[in-house]
Amino acid sequence: MQQVRTGNLTMNRLRGRVKAWLSKPANIILLVFLVTLTALTLYPLLSMLVETVTIHTGREARASKLAAGTLSLYHFERLFATSENQYSWIQFYEPFLNTLLVSLSSSVIAILFGGVVAFLVTRTNLKYKKFVSAVFTFPYIMPAWTLALFWETFFKNVNIGLKTSNGIMASVFGVYAPEWFVYGAFPIALVLGLHYAPFAYILIGGILRNMDANLEEAATILKTSRPRIIWKITLPIVKPAMLSTFLLVFASSMSAYSVPVFLGSPVRYYVLSTKMKSLMDSYPGQAYIIVGVMILFGVGILLLNQKVTNSRKQFTTVTGKSGQISKINLGKANRPVAILLVIILLMVAVVPLVTFALESVIIKAGDYSLSNMTLDFWIGTALDKRLDQGDSTGILLNPKVWNALIFSLSLAVTCAIVAGTCGILVGYGVAKRRGSRLASWVNSLSFFPYLMPALAFGAIYLAMSSQIPWLRGFLLLALVGSVKYLPFASRSGVNAMLQLSGEIEEAAVITGVPWWKRMVRVIFPIQKSSFLSGYLLPMVSCMRELSLFVLLVPTSNTILTTMLMQYSEKGWAQFGNAINLLIIIVVLLVNFTVNKLTGASIDKGVGG
Amino acid sequence: MPEIILNNVAKRFGKFVAVDNLNLHIESNSFITLLGPSGCGKTTTLRMIAGLETPTEGSISIDDKVVFDADRGINLPPNKRDVGFLFQNYALWPHMTVYQNIAFGLENLKWKKQDIRDRVSELLKMLRIEPFEKRYPAELSGGQQQRVAIARTLAPGPKVLFMDEPLSNLDAKLRMEMRTELKRLHRDTDSTFVYVTHDQLEAMTLSTNVCIMENGVLQQFAPPLVMYNNPANLFVADFMGNPTMNFIDGHLGVDGRLTFGGMTAMFGHSGEYLGERDVVVGIRPEYIHVGEGDLKATVYSTLPSGMETTVKLDVKGTSLTAVVFGDLDYAVDSEVSFSFHKAAVLFDKADGKNIAKGQLLSPAMGG
Repeated sequence: MQQVRTGNLTMNRLRGRVKAWLSKPANIILLVFLVTLTALTLYPLLSMLVETVTIHTGREARASKLAAGTLSLYHFERLFATSENQYSWIQFYEPFLNTLLVSLSSSVIAILFGGVVAFLVTRTNLKYKKFVSAVFTFPYIMPAWTLALFWETFFKNVNIGLKTSNGIMASVFGVYAPEWFVYGAFPIALVLGLHYAPFAYILIGGILRNMDANLEEAATILKTSRPRIIWKITLPIVKPAMLSTFLLVFASSMSAYSVPVFLGSPVRYYVLSTKMKSLMDSYPGQAYIIVGVMILFGVGILLLNQKVTNSRKQFTTVTGKSGQISKINLGKANRPVAILLVIILLMVAVVPLVTFALESVIIKAGDYSLSNMTLDFWIGTALDKRLDQGDSTGILLNPKVWNALIFSLSLAVTCAIVAGTCGILVGYGVAKRRGSRLASWVNSLSFFPYLMPALAFGAIYLAMSSQIPWLRGFLLLALVGSVKYLPFASRSGVNAMLQLSGEIEEAAVITGVPWWKRMVRVIFPIQKSSFLSGYLLPMVSCMRELSLFVLLVPTSNTILTTMLMQYSEKGWAQFGNAINLLIIIVVLLVNFTVNKLTGASIDKGVGG
Repeated sequence: MPEIILNNVAKRFGKFVAVDNLNLHIESNSFITLLGPSGCGKTTTLRMIAGLETPTEGSISIDDKVVFDADRGINLPPNKRDVGFLFQNYALWPHMTVYQNIAFGLENLKWKKQDIRDRVSELLKMLRIEPFEKRYPAELSGGQQQRVAIARTLAPGPKVLFMDEPLSNLDAKLRMEMRTELKRLHRDTDSTFVYVTHDQLEAMTLSTNVCIMENGVLQQFAPPLVMYNNPANLFVADFMGNPTMNFIDGHLGVDGRLTFGGMTAMFGHSGEYLGERDVVVGIRPEYIHVGEGDLKATVYSTLPSGMETTVKLDVKGTSLTAVVFGDLDYAVDSEVSFSFHKAAVLFDKADGKNIAKGQLLSPAMGG
């Protein structure tokens, strides 16, 4: 009797505890995300790992002399330890070293450029600050290939690369740039570095801006010279942000695909991502091993990043009366520095757009006279009668282009809504159950897609979709996009939620406001701009995404970016440039409209 | 010996006037408090003297050396002014250990390694933070961080020490303790202290002279007890003292008879004839003695604290606050008698200025 009652009691208590646990929305959210994210990230990862030990039909089966479907370590042996014809060196080790070189240099460039500008904008009386901080994030908002394409169109000439035609530099100024300058490691690192410099600018600038000015003033009072203050106080305090930036840029550069394709492939300069793409068709097993290596690198970087940001010397955010910081007077150097900066920014952010505009209206390549210009590629009709290539109408009259634009936009909006909303929910759950194991799992899982190279992510989902018949077209693209961009949204969601004190929600709980109403009426309005940034980032990224979707689109005319890719492969330069410009304009328009309407922006927190 | 002189110092941010036409003479070895509500310009004043802020007008000299003069274009940077500064949020460098924080200023002065070692050890011992030498600021409690900040400021032995609300981030008990230590420190270090606070009790207990400001304008500069007993105007009277002074609207007759709050009294004072006018009568709560005298009031509420009891009285609709010493309590709504003792201050009703300090003689009900 006694025993039965105790048994019942424990059962009752257990049931009570489960019920209490489930009555908290945060727990349900975390549980749901744990299951879905495991299915959407770990499952593809596992299936990819299986691919690395599976012999596929076609070339793999023929070369290995094994039956298709056999499990074997053949791919590893082939990729890592084949000395014949320097196979391993060409297929893996050289691209690997190239990747390291390019990623390292681009990180250094990004930090130097972004960090110096962040310092100038936040800590000195630099002129034209407003312009600098407004234009500086342009390269990040624009697709990465923009700069790469610009670099190529600007400097290419008949002596190097594909030796097809002369760019502006050669045809207008008669300067023939050497090959190392136009293609290969140098321009790839430079372009990636410039593209990710806004990263450094935003992260380092944010710290510099929020950094307690008293820390520097305390040193001034103790008779410290300006250089010594920068060296001993300011730099060490922004060091964690610099390291974070370094690791993030490194990871992003490593998985970048479009830049090395445009600036590397013409001279057979390969990095891991481009090598993987070229292996994917014939030797998918080896390609997936490369993906694995890249993911390993990414995870390593993430762990390092966590270690860096969790050190003893943590930056405390107690702020005092820092509004009154005295800015460094640049004196006579002010104007030259400011003008130099403006010129660089114009070169990086504005000139490319002008170039694309120019290239989209000239009839014969290399001739920039007015008589050689036409708007036909934008608004012309019956072009096929006069041209031997391309579509019959200008892009703005072409229903294909409009369909792709509408598809791209609806895809971007869908991904933004799904990823953004999930990001807020993940943020809510993680912040509410901070410190619990469940929360940290979900937190890591939601960040995991960031580490997967976009191209590989697409490839994995392609493999997965072949087993699920209804998962294709728009649905497939929207799913991939939402999962891939979740990290952006969940980052800003978690940060925004961590800033909110629990009392704010508890005040609403006390008066009996239901959960969804608390979210919509209390929590969302308070952190509106952070949350909206969480929607904006996926949207902008999705609009300009190429590598993630390139393997998954039903036809290349489906979305604008793949259309652009197709046009430039076919060599329809004017149409390509016109579409490129169209994409950039749409992305910038979306960004600025959202920014003006809601105050949310990618560069939130930094400004002149 | 360093004295600090401010002449017609003003600071404007655009149209906003933070500090207006400020004249101060801070004597050597004094402990000056800049007191006022937030936004009154006290921190700006301190930062201007330290050189962290540039005044719009006027001149400042420290120890007979002109450190700022708007007309002559002199503006010495903070590191040339030989001063120490203690920040409200301590501003400890998060990436340096306690030892490195304290030693940093000495390294700048190119001290010898051993001398630095000795001086830091001396300070660690003096402020009782020896065990934390190798810790980072994030690993210390608020009170310990405070001590490290003080040690860092004192390390080079500045003759002038500026402190910007250094105790406001501490809990009540620790604040009490640090007050005692600061006062002791002032004696031991032989330097001039300039201290910013919005806490009148801190200003009362610590300083040799209080400078009280409102909206950027100096209201009174005097020793704390002088300020307490003879405030220059209603603002100062209201700001100093807790519970605050009683203010009762009244009328002073031609014969010197005062009518206020349903009472009358003769106003006796040694100054010149005041004439007939509307006034505000200011009476400190501890000068109202409950339980004696001819005046009658009803007890509205009581706040006994053990050592003293604050009693709110209702005199025919006028409310008076009295402080009774000892562990007494009164029944609410009961009738009590009371009388006025010692001084009362008369303020001009129109401009709030102190017009006279005197006695309320033979007070009576009615009027």
